[in-house]
Amino acid sequence: MAETRFDEIIHAPVRLRICGLLRPVDHLDFAVLRDTLSVSDATLSKHLKTLATSGYVTSRKAVSAGRDDARRITWLALTRAGRTAFDAHVRALQEIATPSI
Amino acid sequence: MENHFRDPSREEAAAALNALSSDREHLAASVHAPWTLLAAFGGVGAWWVSAAAATNPGANYEPPSSSWLALVGTLIVVYLIQRETGVRFRRMGARAGWAIVGIIAACLLLFSVSLGFVSFGMHWAVAPTSLVAFATTTWLASVAYRSAVEHLRHG
Repeated sequence: MAETRFDEIIHAPVRLRICGLLRPVDHLDFAVLRDTLSVSDATLSKHLKTLATSGYVTSRKAVSAGRDDARRITWLALTRAGRTAFDAHVRALQEIATPSI
Repeated sequence: MENHFRDPSREEAAAALNALSSDREHLAASVHAPWTLLAAFGGVGAWWVSAAAATNPGANYEPPSSSWLALVGTLIVVYLIQRETGVRFRRMGARAGWAIVGIIAACLLLFSVSLGFVSFGMHWAVAPTSLVAFATTTWLASVAYRSAVEHLRHG
């Protein structure tokens, strides 16, 4: 049976939304994530750092000789642990939102 | 100061789940199919089919080495689309799978037809089959891309 677990690290609103956007994709560019969430670079970086420290998110800069640092793509992805924790957290939210009678 | 959100209410939990759906919807709406790059898939397909014109069908037939180059070209276009959109899809959906099968089948069929034309000395007829390959591949690539975006929209 699938695990149900409320995760306080993920539940912070911006972090929940970050995980929600990373969950259905393999990788997402930092700029795309920032624009979709309508948050600043600093805010997104802060929350990503928290998620990365918890082992939920990885980031990797794409190297390109044709681009300077400012235009490099930073690929973000949920780790396996991140996907498991997010799925368990969503199930916990679903249980709260629609309690069984 | 960071808040902690232990034990959200029913309404808060529902709102959080709705926000996740809205974000996926927003992301899917912002990911536009890069038509020039989808047409590049068509270009690869057309180029591969047109390679039939340079072959010598019959007993001395040797398959062209363009297949590997076409594969490399396809991978380069995939890479460029990912850079352009900033999204690497995890799953593309069944419709995308069928579209990719359709691209391969159409190109193989058109290549065979082109070989037939060449065997009759009608080298000029490879041009229309290549054009058909371009149009078919571009269209099916767009179908596959739209399928991936829809898959993203529904999580």
